[in-house]
Amino acid sequence: MTRKTFFIAAALGVLAAGAFLAAPASAQGLVAQALTAGTVGEQSDGYLGIAGTVSQAVRDEVSAINIKRRAAYTDLAAKRGVTVADAAAATGCQTLGSRVKPGQVYRIGTGPWQTKGSGPIALPDYCATAG
Amino acid sequence: MIDGKSEGDAGRMRMMALSAVVASLALAGCITVKAPDKPIEINLNVKVQQEVIVRLQKDAQDLIQNNPELFPQ
Repeated sequence: MTRKTFFIAAALGVLAAGAFLAAPASAQGLVAQALTAGTVGEQSDGYLGIAGTVSQAVRDEVSAINIKRRAAYTDLAAKRGVTVADAAAATGCQTLGSRVKPGQVYRIGTGPWQTKGSGPIALPDYCATAG
Repeated sequence: MIDGKSEGDAGRMRMMALSAVVASLALAGCITVKAPDKPIEINLNVKVQQEVIVRLQKDAQDLIQNNPELFPQ
């Protein structure tokens, strides 16, 4: 490989990496904005939910994230010998317990969407952490 | 007439009578336990699920930290 071809290959590699990184970053920004706006929120079942009126782009990205989450939950469930729903619910305890910020919305079970206040979210009983 | 043999017979008779009484008392005092027709069900699902999820909390934390793109804030 000559110095020139090496340079071209490197440049192409950087471009490809840039394109690969740029797409999910902007899409993730949409969901982050929707979370701040309170139109998308975390659910106790471990998935994102649509809480208000959102664009199709946001809807698509929420679906894409949930599909990837489900894959991650499936891996964890297989590793620990539990159901996918349990792995997802355990993650839901974490997102509601420590990631939802005041002003953002969340939902427990099939209950109504609620806005987080300054205090902690009242988590389902099964979220109790081991002492 | 009292001799060793007849005294022994009387003793045996008393013993037999006594043991019969004891046996009948024991039978009368028996408590019969009857198995229920339906199986006994103890529902532990809630407790088991709670333990499973508590154990998974650490795993869930790691999952979130290792996949930040899946958990935008």
